[in-house]
Amino acid sequence: MAQKRKIGVYVCHCGGNISDYVNVEEVVEGVKNEPGVEVAKTHMFSCSDAAQQLMIDEIKEKQLDGVVVASCSPKLHMFTFRGMSERAGLNPYQYVQVNLREQCSWAHTNDKIGATEKGINLVRAGIAKCILSHSLSAIRIETKPSALVIGAGISGMRAALSLADMGLAVHLIEKEDEVGGWALKTALMGPEAQNGPDIAEKLIARIKQHDNIMLYTGAELTEKSGNIGDFNVKVRLNDDSEVTLNIGAIIVTTGFDTYVPQDGEYGWGTDGVVELKDFRKMLNDGKLERNGKPIKDVVFIYCVGSRQKKTETCENPNSYCSRYCCTATTFTAKTLHALEEKTGQTVNQYHLYRDIRTYGKMETVYEEARNDGALFLRWDPENPPVVSQADGKLLVKVQDELDGNDEIEIGADLVVLSTGMRPRDNESLDDILKIPKSKDGFLNEIHIKLRPVETVIDGVFIAGTAQSPKTLAESVASSLAAVAKTGGLLKKGYVDLEPLIAKVYEDKCTWCDECLKACPYGAIEKNVCGDKEIAMVIGALCKGEGACVPVCPHDAIDIEGFRDDQIIAMIDASIKDIK
Amino acid sequence: MTPNNKKTDYDVMIVGAGIAGMETAASLGDMGYKVLLVEKNSSIGGKAILLSKVFPTLDCASCIVTPKMSAAAHHPNIDPLVYTEVDSIVRNDDGTFAIDLHRKASYVDFDACTGCGQCEEACTVTVPDEYNYNLVTRRVAHIPFPQAVPKKAVIDRRGEAPCTFTCPGNVKASGYISLVRAGRYKEAFNLHLENAPLVGSLARACYAPCESDCTRCEKEETVHIRGIKRFMSDYYYDEHPEPEYGPVENQLKTKVAIVGSGPAGLSAAFYLARNGHQVTVFEAEKEAGGMLRTGIPAYRLPKDVVDRDIKNVTALGVEIKLNTRVQSVASLKEQGYDAIFVSTGASNERTLEIEGEDLDGVTGCMKFLREVNIGTAPSIKGKTVFVIGGGNSAMDPARSAIRMGAKKVIIQYRRGRDEMPAHDWEIDGAVEEGVELMLLSSPKRFIGKDGKLEAVECLKMKLGEPDESGRRRPEVVEGSEEIIPIDIAVLAIGLLPSTKEFTGEMTHKRGFLESDERTLQTKDPMLFAGGDSTTQPTMIINAIAQGRRAAFHMDLFLQEKPMDTPFDILLEKTDKSLVLDESKGFKGKDPVPQPTIPIAARKETFDCYEKVMTEEEARKEAHRCMNCGECSQCMECVSVCPAFCIDFTQRDQKLDFTVGAVVLSTGYEILDPSAKELLGYGRIPDVIDGPQMDRLLAPTRPYNSVLRPSDGKEPESIAIVLCNGSRDKTVCNPLCCRIGCMYSVKHAQLAMGALPMADVTIYYIDVRAFGKGYDEFYEQSKDMGVEYVKGKVARVTQLENGNMELHYEDMGSEGGLKKREHDLVVLTVGFLPNTEAFKLYKGSTNLEGDEFNYVKEIDPISEPGKTNIDGLFAAGAILGARDIPDTVLHSGAAAAQAATYLEKLETK
Repeated sequence: MAQKRKIGVYVCHCGGNISDYVNVEEVVEGVKNEPGVEVAKTHMFSCSDAAQQLMIDEIKEKQLDGVVVASCSPKLHMFTFRGMSERAGLNPYQYVQVNLREQCSWAHTNDKIGATEKGINLVRAGIAKCILSHSLSAIRIETKPSALVIGAGISGMRAALSLADMGLAVHLIEKEDEVGGWALKTALMGPEAQNGPDIAEKLIARIKQHDNIMLYTGAELTEKSGNIGDFNVKVRLNDDSEVTLNIGAIIVTTGFDTYVPQDGEYGWGTDGVVELKDFRKMLNDGKLERNGKPIKDVVFIYCVGSRQKKTETCENPNSYCSRYCCTATTFTAKTLHALEEKTGQTVNQYHLYRDIRTYGKMETVYEEARNDGALFLRWDPENPPVVSQADGKLLVKVQDELDGNDEIEIGADLVVLSTGMRPRDNESLDDILKIPKSKDGFLNEIHIKLRPVETVIDGVFIAGTAQSPKTLAESVASSLAAVAKTGGLLKKGYVDLEPLIAKVYEDKCTWCDECLKACPYGAIEKNVCGDKEIAMVIGALCKGEGACVPVCPHDAIDIEGFRDDQIIAMIDASIKDIK
Repeated sequence: MTPNNKKTDYDVMIVGAGIAGMETAASLGDMGYKVLLVEKNSSIGGKAILLSKVFPTLDCASCIVTPKMSAAAHHPNIDPLVYTEVDSIVRNDDGTFAIDLHRKASYVDFDACTGCGQCEEACTVTVPDEYNYNLVTRRVAHIPFPQAVPKKAVIDRRGEAPCTFTCPGNVKASGYISLVRAGRYKEAFNLHLENAPLVGSLARACYAPCESDCTRCEKEETVHIRGIKRFMSDYYYDEHPEPEYGPVENQLKTKVAIVGSGPAGLSAAFYLARNGHQVTVFEAEKEAGGMLRTGIPAYRLPKDVVDRDIKNVTALGVEIKLNTRVQSVASLKEQGYDAIFVSTGASNERTLEIEGEDLDGVTGCMKFLREVNIGTAPSIKGKTVFVIGGGNSAMDPARSAIRMGAKKVIIQYRRGRDEMPAHDWEIDGAVEEGVELMLLSSPKRFIGKDGKLEAVECLKMKLGEPDESGRRRPEVVEGSEEIIPIDIAVLAIGLLPSTKEFTGEMTHKRGFLESDERTLQTKDPMLFAGGDSTTQPTMIINAIAQGRRAAFHMDLFLQEKPMDTPFDILLEKTDKSLVLDESKGFKGKDPVPQPTIPIAARKETFDCYEKVMTEEEARKEAHRCMNCGECSQCMECVSVCPAFCIDFTQRDQKLDFTVGAVVLSTGYEILDPSAKELLGYGRIPDVIDGPQMDRLLAPTRPYNSVLRPSDGKEPESIAIVLCNGSRDKTVCNPLCCRIGCMYSVKHAQLAMGALPMADVTIYYIDVRAFGKGYDEFYEQSKDMGVEYVKGKVARVTQLENGNMELHYEDMGSEGGLKKREHDLVVLTVGFLPNTEAFKLYKGSTNLEGDEFNYVKEIDPISEPGKTNIDGLFAAGAILGARDIPDTVLHSGAAAAQAATYLEKLETK
């Protein structure tokens, strides 16, 4: 660059998260004489509004043409500081973030001197990159005013209705032949004491009437292409026909599966050992009998398939809590008691639990179950209850923690396993959508508090139990949250995409098609430029992930924001002597 | 997509800018709706911004909340309106909502404030810092926390301090007290000049009505405000024998004449000269000061102090013409004065109209005191002095006579001791010095020989029915005559104005000059009158107040400004019960004893009998001030603010809007664990609650480390006790708080990081780690070494070594009642509903609540966020306790619901 740059460097204390380990004043000293640096200083919280205002004032006053903030991960605040740059009249792509927290202070809490030196190197690299940055503009794409909702359980249906009410066209697809999901199969549900089929049927009726919703049952997504705001998807219907849809966004509400115990796990496989959902059906039918004999003693075992630890028999444990089961089971206790009152038949209830997690207002369900006479016994995962068969009855042995760990034997007519939720197996869908999963196997959001329904695939949102175990009310709330985000995307009419994508140096390119072969997004096309065939990048499809760059034999392709000259300059800057 | 009809000012109003409000606002803003985001605090961000880190990812709370704050503050479709309360929400028939709001006075012009924080540094009043859950204090002028958005200062004022409000001159007693407390004596003195220039005289001779209205009176006894002033003025005058200023730079051509150099005249002269007017004061006596000079004995007000006070006035260029009796207003007009202030006082004595009043030896109290003060009084050594009257003006001659060596001094009063109008301390002082009280007695005649007084004949009195003044009327006891030999009789029965020169030029009312009560302007617009010549003789401070009032309005008159320009703009007097409630549980503060010279010595001298407090005593006494008004109006912020943005005349501002939909997101309250008395919160200093622990662990932590509050020791054994006041019917809260377990696991992890040597024990009923990644977080804490004890803690006691002993039932291992010692106890507390929300909606149908007093969600499964009022939605913890992830999701749902409502509203 011929012209001298004027760069502002701001090193963040992060309230101590950085400055407790990295001497931020020394970092400022170490970088303030770097070429191009006009001003270098520290801020307590760079992300605070006041600090942003100070930087804006300085950018304007000193006419800075580049800004480096050395703070946290760009995942957290890159957009914050790009916005700040824009408000200061600086092109946001002339802003560079240096991750001094996750990649330095937090990683080197035991070596303050080393961390400070590394900090100087990182910031110098950032400055070197910034010097070579230039003004870019976002790629603006028109969005299609329609959405695809995958999965027509309660969450999916409710999301579809809301989107439709907002005036968007909705395509709702369901793999099964019947919509309504688990709720349709579950009768009375706690804690709201609403009837699952009633809820489902009301929604189905509204959906069928709504002009803006197209419902496809027995339908599966087979293909997805395009980009945020403008996807093309193919859906295979149960008659093997295929429809192609052009949509702006996708909401995934594919729900959960229940945990199926392994043979012998808490007596699973033995006659009389049932899952909670089956027991609920039994209650719904109003009959308290098994094999023609009245049921007198029922044992409930909690946390089946949840909060597991890795053992020989359990190699892929579900280490998470399934969240809904304590409430569902204690609510079932109440339902059972009500039936007891109605039929006059006495049933003893034994609840074998680890922690009762009836959080918030659901505590009242637990309390009522106790008041109704249900007995609660607490077991330690080291000594789980053992279910066996004796004299035609089931025998449950449990060491009750609340009773000095004495072993108690309960003769039971029925053992009900409160099984947890687990992620649904949707291999083909996973292959198409490519949404990352979290450790527990559920679909992963970008950030549970900042962007809880968004995924790293722009324009694809997740909601309900596909993301994590939830109650029905929580699932619906999350699906409407996804609706709000979809609305924000589609109602605006356009979306701005990152311009940090591949660019072809026309003079160097000889069209060898190596880049085309390397590109996972189909973002490269052959183009004729004068008398020459060269590669062309389709801006809306390119993700800027860079697979094309190393395969190019002529160095004819580069990624904006991560150009070779920038990377080399960063390396050079970061290996200089500190002094 | 945006309703384009002009019937609404905004598409949506969102009430409460915590996580839920900000999230809802951002979602709706992104959809293109115009959002009004109303927040009652001065910053958006809610309670989450005060947290340390957040579970289960241990992100900094700042990292989570500041992006949301920034997004809400800078969103092109969102208008944040902070420091604003909602007064009323009503649904209109067309589905829109009528909104009434008021923007609270912050006393800071937000548009000009740069958030530099200099006011905060200069502020002299500290209050418990609610943003640090009262672990430390903050200033009254403050920016709530470093990440505040907008970053603007506000000043807390809950009313005018009673002392300031009660003072006739509205001298900012609370202000100079807080300045003395801060050691800023010069600033204290200068602040006093703003309301009264004769600081030294008031410090000695003011009857201090402020002290009788001091809120401390309700506890021990008044703050000795006058004593503090005495210290401050003595200190200043010692350092500054001459004023530090001269005439003001901007001198005007207007000429003002002031007749009389008493406190009213001097005060008027001072404020007029400060405005640049050319002021001449005419004084008939040979020295200036009026009553200060001649009417108040030196043992109360030494005359060198009066001299120094007058310098405050003359330094401004005010000319005092002594020995110059003004004969008429006309004569002044002839001399070219543009305005005249008559403040000739009231020094004409009332008489008894009884036999023998003309005898030599019968005198008036003013005449008596004047002679004493100017040194022309005849000797009364060995004589009997008989003072008639029960007011303060009777005490002065009586106590002077003692000092002059009188053999016997009697005060005669026709009613009883309790009815005497003089101040108790004056009467007590007189009696201590040997003055005899002759109560229920009245003079019938003076008896003399050769024209010289020899005795007085008195009548006994008794008290009859109350008269119009409410006091019982004295009635003569027939046949009770008694003759008492006396040498001097002093009549102290009242004074009349000295205005005979102006008879015919000015109107009179019952002997006093007549002027408008507010402006002190007479019927002749250039002529003003005030002080004792227009009112009943009162206190010095009243006269000074009149002088300042006159100066203000004369200035308006001279500069041809509207005469209805408001004079002192005061708030309502602070409700003392608020102040007293706040001080409950605090130890009392006994007053610093007022040093005086011993009685025996007092009788010998006209030296001031009150001694001045030492610096240490004065500051200690100043610490007794309860800061009733919160802000003391010490004006230090005003003097340092570089943006000139502090404005004490700011008042609440009413606003009203029409909006398409409303989302309530007013959040929750935090449960006060002192409701569980046995757990020691509020009683044992090292029993803290969860929010306080969060502050101790936050990056902006108050002690910059985790220290226990009582002694600053690093705790070695921390107990975290779950479910305090949650799942607990004894405090009427059967609900689980939903967040306590998780934030306690977080506390345990953070504490172990901050204090690697400390043991952390969590006492629990159930550990409710139910969300995404929560149970893993809980398991991780166990791996880190956090001990979990299944057991409910019933009682916390303090041991002799200062540590706490927990009494609990061990339910997990071998069982039984157990005790364990810890050196820091954290009580995990949960949420309570914020019932304020119900008061906001004022439509014909009430906003419905559920059985736990949360706002009711009419169909929690299918219609999240919907209340019983169509178009009025609720987001987040207003509906029930929620953690941040659930709040964020629920807020998104509320935004979607509001959006669909707005769509329908538009297509209607």
